Amino acid sequence: MKNYHTILNKFILFTGVFILASCSNLEELNKNPNGISTSEANVNLLMPSILRGYALSNLNLGYQELAGTVQHTQKDGWWTGHNQYDWGLQDWNGYYTLLRSNRYLGELADKSGSKFHMGVHLAMRGLLFGTVTDLWGDAPYTDALKGDQEGSKFEYPAYDSQETIYKGVIQDLENASKIFEAGNFVGVLPAYDLYFAGNATKWHQFTNSLLLRYAMRISSKLPDLAKKTIESVYKSGVYFKSASDDLALDYIGAAQSDSWPSAADFDQGSNFRRIKPSSTLLNKLIKDKDPRLEIWFRAVHCKWVEDNSLTVAVDPFIRKNGVLQTGTRSFSDARYLTEIGSGAKFTRHYNPKILGRTLDTSRFVGVPTALMEPSEYNLNPTPGQQLENQHVSQLADVYRGKSGGLLKARIISASEVQFILAEAALNGWAAGQAKSNYEQAVKLSLDTWGVGSRYSSFISNTDVAYAGTLKQIIEQKWISSWTNAGEAWFDYRRTGFPQLKTGPASPEPVVAVRFTYGNNEINFNAAEVNKAVDKLQVTFGGSRGKNNQWAKPWLLQGTGKPW
Amino acid sequence: MKKEIINHALWIKIMKMSLTQLVFAISFVSLCYSSVANAQDKLKTTISISLEDKSLKTILTKLEKEADVKFIYSSEVIQVERITSIKAKNQSLAVVLDAFLSPLNISFRGIEDGIVLSVKDVDPNQALDAKRAKMDVVIAADQTIKGTIIDEKGEKLPGVSISIKGTTRGTTTNSNGDYTISVPDNKATLVFSFVGYESQEVLVGNKTNLNLTLKVDNKALEEVVVTALGISREQRSLGYSVGKVKGDALRTVTQENVVNALAGRVAGVQVNQTGVVGSSTSIVIRGATSLSSDNQPLFVIDGVPVQNSMSNMRVLGDRNEVDYGNPISDLNPDDIESVSVLKGPSAAALYGSRAGNGVIIINTKKGKKGEAMSVNFSSSNVFESPYRYLDFHYKYSNGNRVGLLDERSEYWAGIELDKGNKAVQWDSPRDANGVGTPTEMRSYKDNMKNFLETGITSTNSISISGSTDKTNYKLAYTNMTHNGLIPNSDLYRNNISFSSAYDLSSKLKITTDINISRSNSNSRNSTGNRGGNPFEAVYNWSHIDVLKMKNVWRPGQEGIQQNYPENSSMDNPYFLAYHLLNGYTRDRVFGNVKAEYKLHPNVTAQLRASFDSYQENRETKIPYSYTRERKGGYHLNDLFNQESNLEFLTTFNKKFNNFNITATGGGNLMNQKSTDLYMGSAPGVGLILPNLYNISNITPIGIRYNNSIRNKAIYSVFATTSIGFKDQLYLDLTARNDWSSTLPVASRSYFYPSASLSWIASSTFNLPSYVSLLKLRGGIAQVGNDTNPYALEPVLGTDSWGNLVSNTFPGTLLNPNLRPEINSSQEFGLDLNLFNNRFRFEGTYFYEENTNQILNVQSPSSSGFNAKQINAGLISSRGWEIMIGGTPIKTQSGLTWNLDVNLTRMRTRLESLTPGMNFITLWDDNNGGAQTFVGQDIGDLYSRGYKKVNNPSSPYHNWPVLTPQGSWIPENARESRIKVGNFNPDVIIGIQSNLRYGRWNLQSSFDWRVGGQYQSFSYRYGGSNWKSQLQIDNLIQGGLYTPDQLVALLKSNPEKYIIPINGNFPRIGGYTKETGGFPIGLGTGTNFDGVFIPGVIETSPGVYKEHLGGEGTRMIQASNMFAWSYNQQVTFDADFLKMRELALSYDLPKMKGFKAATISVFTRNLILWTKANNGIDPERAFTITGSKQGDTQNIFRQGLELQNVQPWTVSYGFKLNFTL
Repeated sequence: MKNYHTILNKFILFTGVFILASCSNLEELNKNPNGISTSEANVNLLMPSILRGYALSNLNLGYQELAGTVQHTQKDGWWTGHNQYDWGLQDWNGYYTLLRSNRYLGELADKSGSKFHMGVHLAMRGLLFGTVTDLWGDAPYTDALKGDQEGSKFEYPAYDSQETIYKGVIQDLENASKIFEAGNFVGVLPAYDLYFAGNATKWHQFTNSLLLRYAMRISSKLPDLAKKTIESVYKSGVYFKSASDDLALDYIGAAQSDSWPSAADFDQGSNFRRIKPSSTLLNKLIKDKDPRLEIWFRAVHCKWVEDNSLTVAVDPFIRKNGVLQTGTRSFSDARYLTEIGSGAKFTRHYNPKILGRTLDTSRFVGVPTALMEPSEYNLNPTPGQQLENQHVSQLADVYRGKSGGLLKARIISASEVQFILAEAALNGWAAGQAKSNYEQAVKLSLDTWGVGSRYSSFISNTDVAYAGTLKQIIEQKWISSWTNAGEAWFDYRRTGFPQLKTGPASPEPVVAVRFTYGNNEINFNAAEVNKAVDKLQVTFGGSRGKNNQWAKPWLLQGTGKPW
Repeated sequence: MKKEIINHALWIKIMKMSLTQLVFAISFVSLCYSSVANAQDKLKTTISISLEDKSLKTILTKLEKEADVKFIYSSEVIQVERITSIKAKNQSLAVVLDAFLSPLNISFRGIEDGIVLSVKDVDPNQALDAKRAKMDVVIAADQTIKGTIIDEKGEKLPGVSISIKGTTRGTTTNSNGDYTISVPDNKATLVFSFVGYESQEVLVGNKTNLNLTLKVDNKALEEVVVTALGISREQRSLGYSVGKVKGDALRTVTQENVVNALAGRVAGVQVNQTGVVGSSTSIVIRGATSLSSDNQPLFVIDGVPVQNSMSNMRVLGDRNEVDYGNPISDLNPDDIESVSVLKGPSAAALYGSRAGNGVIIINTKKGKKGEAMSVNFSSSNVFESPYRYLDFHYKYSNGNRVGLLDERSEYWAGIELDKGNKAVQWDSPRDANGVGTPTEMRSYKDNMKNFLETGITSTNSISISGSTDKTNYKLAYTNMTHNGLIPNSDLYRNNISFSSAYDLSSKLKITTDINISRSNSNSRNSTGNRGGNPFEAVYNWSHIDVLKMKNVWRPGQEGIQQNYPENSSMDNPYFLAYHLLNGYTRDRVFGNVKAEYKLHPNVTAQLRASFDSYQENRETKIPYSYTRERKGGYHLNDLFNQESNLEFLTTFNKKFNNFNITATGGGNLMNQKSTDLYMGSAPGVGLILPNLYNISNITPIGIRYNNSIRNKAIYSVFATTSIGFKDQLYLDLTARNDWSSTLPVASRSYFYPSASLSWIASSTFNLPSYVSLLKLRGGIAQVGNDTNPYALEPVLGTDSWGNLVSNTFPGTLLNPNLRPEINSSQEFGLDLNLFNNRFRFEGTYFYEENTNQILNVQSPSSSGFNAKQINAGLISSRGWEIMIGGTPIKTQSGLTWNLDVNLTRMRTRLESLTPGMNFITLWDDNNGGAQTFVGQDIGDLYSRGYKKVNNPSSPYHNWPVLTPQGSWIPENARESRIKVGNFNPDVIIGIQSNLRYGRWNLQSSFDWRVGGQYQSFSYRYGGSNWKSQLQIDNLIQGGLYTPDQLVALLKSNPEKYIIPINGNFPRIGGYTKETGGFPIGLGTGTNFDGVFIPGVIETSPGVYKEHLGGEGTRMIQASNMFAWSYNQQVTFDADFLKMRELALSYDLPKMKGFKAATISVFTRNLILWTKANNGIDPERAFTITGSKQGDTQNIFRQGLELQNVQPWTVSYGFKLNFTL
């Protein structure tokens, strides 16, 4: 037995040494070599993703989904969300993801004592939470972004009312404004400030411009706060004043992710091809002889011609310079561009008497709102989404591009600021003269789109010349918000202008007014989101439940707007 | 002298036993002890001995002790009382025995279980007389019997024991299988027995010549299984269920991936082949028990844990999902000796964390001691041909609307085909102005058949094995070449394996196994949707002859523009097959070196270093004009994976009275390292020059690159002991403690034990003689599991905007206080063999609980985190495994039919989660997918909800409520989702049949899955694009009825005509007037492709208006109204029956120069039946994605089929195998 004991002892010793010798490495081994520890980050490096993230998502709202809602555009492929607000549940993860990094930016700014970064943090906090509540209504605010604090206390954050959030937004923006007003900042790496390259003055103008925007946003519900805020900013004189002040992020154009969303290089033009001008906007531009028309839109490839001598209802084929092209119903987009570029003119004749109805024979043709089959509009011989509709306008060729020129992610413009001041003045607040503010707003918008030289003739046109009505101010503001349609939607909800009518495919007879709370909240924060849903005022679409896109959040409740 | 024998208890026992019984008894004892090296090896043991004038018996006993061997002999033949002397110093046992026994005219021979002693045969006949003359026992010989004993193959069997029943007299056959024995009278019965063969008893009668064929005792060979740590155990001693598959069952039919060969063979094991040859094969034992992993078992090959996963997939380029096959496919099936499947944690507890999903132990073939050199060749060819395709209609051309051709469209809703209609097509002749001449529109239903080629797999291997007096060795080489069904697709594998053992001294032995393999392919096809997948591309056009696309490039634009209808949304399938190339090379080395040292006759220590390392280099080339990336792309991805284990083991074994005890203790150091390096073109940026595939051909700003490193270590100590009592009661205990680098210091050490008990009741009680075995068994165990590296501390993410790189705060809230997952299990079983083992039954019930699941679950993003790591929840799984086997036919003429059936029924339930969460998502698509609510089963499939009349008293109860536009109203809330099935089968049935007649053997294997569902997104696209025949068949041809008739018809059976069910959302109408379509306006006129959806429209709360074709019914064009938003529409039953293998083989008669030769022909994976009968193989309901799904770590979606639409194929082949 002694023998066994010796062996056992040897074994235990050997194994023990064997294991313990290496145990100390275990912790070291589990240090992640693939990323920077949260304790070692530089405050500047947090800014770009937040600033860019907001700009791109705002452009996506304003050029895609909400451009359809406010009838800047319609789509004829993948259209149900765009044209008729047939939205599923909409998550806000993108915004809270930016807010998460922004919270960390604030913590690092605090730790490093950098005032500039604190200002950026506050301004972006205001803008991001403002956008969340603009779109959805009540949302987690006070308790938001604290999931890692105090155990699991904030795991399922409670919702705040829109009122609380908007007040907080204005407070954040005012605090940021004060910081930037003080000037003199150190520790800023300009390359990482994608908006203003470290220029605090510009940030000051920006935050004040945002204050004007958010004050006007709440003017129906909190008129005193709105008035006080707008008058104070107006008095300071610090806000965007020239088109060169407009905050708009340039695209890089290297890859799809940093290029204009409909850049044709990346997808054979299918994203570009789906977007068509809405007849609501297009007809208004035509009527007003608006110089921005040809900046934004392109004439149809093939114009309908009314021809009472025709023996059939419609030409079976297109005509090139008047000559029937037997066998050809249409060309590909690329072929049209080449042929039209070299001077050819394409038409197709029809006889309204035989057809029994009229077609749109204009050079510029928009698609009416919420059609059942938008790709068939104006007797398209190639319905579906593989080929463009030759009888309907497309966006201007510039929107096929990747970057540069007019292709910018627009956030806020000097024109918008002037429209707000015009409205404030019309309300009788101390914000200058309504007429001159309005005219300046229109001029600034033409400047933005490179047609400032045609201001004087444009401003004298009927319906454009100052009429002293809110309707006119908001309609022009709606036009000037092209590719930033979110603002136009928020104005529509607040004022009912322009008087948008929906179309036959719309599930409800009115335009939607909010985003629905998304699956992420419904699935993982049900108790809290249900309380918020209960506070919504159902108008239309009740069969879908209260959390629908026609329900009015606090901001619209009791305003009688937009209906 | 006889008295002395009687006085010695052991010898009495031996005398009373037949030689076979003795051999079995000894082998049982030694097998319980663990892997006692076999006696052939023992012959190399160096010994010293010196004894003078002792009995032979004493000397043999001393030798047994010195060399740790057993001598097996009949005392009737060997005179053990003879007095003799022996003297040897530091000589091998073989040399000693030769010198010692030769003068005594005794020969010896090492077999598996001991050293057999027999009287030397000089001349078989004369020598026997001579021998008999030397015997003390004089036999009154009045009858002499002679004969020859052969096996079923006709080979002569030396060493067969022949005894006279009821006496101690007997003899053995000589090297020619001949024997001669004298019997007292003609009433004597001779008993013929031989290790590994079934004993036979024959009444002598008046025979003088008695030739006999002994049959292999399959049961006896199966008795021994390999368990954890490579310990060989007699199966009856195990308290838990172990599945076992013999190597030849795996080798008869060639499989490219060895895992495929296990399908249907072992109860509790589910195998799914997820795609074409070379794709990953999933193997799950006793159901998915962990939500955080892919549930694949641990593979251990010759003691080396080998890495495998179901996640060897990547998306390189836009919509180019590629499955590179799971790495276990690197193993060469021809090298396999045996496979053991350790199912439950009881069986696997010793392997630690990774054994939670079970362990598959593979032992490869080795050279054997005492075996002369032999060379084995085998060669096989398998051919694969398609025979069943998706049920698409081919009635209309591509186009979106009746009568309009649009070749760019994915819809088949254009011009009617084969009716003489003409249109200008992509390849129509054109004049100088580009104006085309209309040509006839025809359908091309054979496009897939014409596109695919016959798949051919050729496998050739050669191996050399043998031994010298101190070593044994085996060297093998295998080459596999596969040309796939898809033109230009291929797969290659080359394996070299070497194993050897070397005795450095009588106490120290070194063994090694080394495997080197290369798997590579020049082109693995994409399996994704609407991108690089050639199968989907072939199904894109109804009216284009795919063979006309063989000219891949547009003339003059070679390498720049593919040849296809301009602006198509899909690619030319030949372009994808020949030019979108996903190549890879995987070089792998695994092996081990082991030193075994005998510290004491009862104590052995061993040290083993094992290593597994592979490097996989992937290269993807995407040509210009690929629809998803017009400027092509180039991607490089290098993976490196390495695992090393250093293991130390000490084993003690001893027999005390009625107890056999074996105890093993040891420790293990495991280190893992993996790296991943990617470089390639950004989406949409592509290449500067076409056709030049090099990183320098990408603009600097368009290059994307990243790499990652992962390290992990687990250190362990473990111990096991097994105690056997009287060969009828066995108790096994194990314990292990792990220290994992991935867990926090406080909880990184975790301990887990197991215990199991086996009771051979048939040995305890005197049961009727037809009961061959009655065994009761049970076990309980616990296994801990750690997590992935770096799961404790967050690091910042990065993000770029042009050249500006920035940081982002991570969205997953980590838990720095993680605890290990704990899996506790119990299993109970009963084994019953009857009628001399001709009927066999094994039943097992198991119950497992998995707690503290480490999961990244989604959380409200408003909390600041999209996901959080939780360490909670309880998943339970329970199930039955039943194996019924039998030998219904067994005749003297050599016809034997063995039939084995195994049934498995299991369910895994989510018992609880963390507070505030009531469900878990496996994958989510279209507001449906696989999710599980607390209290429900894992694998449940859901579909988005739709608004319906919920009031049970309403006449419209359950009817869909429609929008004013006449379409279903989606209900998006999670609670509104409809449970439409579960992707796990209810019962899995495997059937193996083996019919042997002489040299002929017919074996077949069936895999039958009962129950279960899957969702087919191929049918979702197929229906939406108006391609599938199914959705045309489902249309109710409403236009053929009057409005009143129609209403009456629909109301007559709402379950059939109105209420949605799996596979169908009712629609009324047709595509043409003749097929019952309703009129609907179209541009210049009216068409008859109107359909409507039956249901009701809610006019005010609770008030409904019927929408059944009457006034106000909203018509929609047929091709535009599909229940796209509802996965229920494409949920099908997954039941299937497949004949996995059918093989006929023939063992060629012995020829000069050949030791053995076999030829076989076979077919495999023949689908005999699917319940859904829609042309889809339900096994293919695995969808590869590039990212982690739902709350899991998996990058595949189980229960979803998406363009994984290889036609059904029939494979057939032949294999030649011969040994020199």
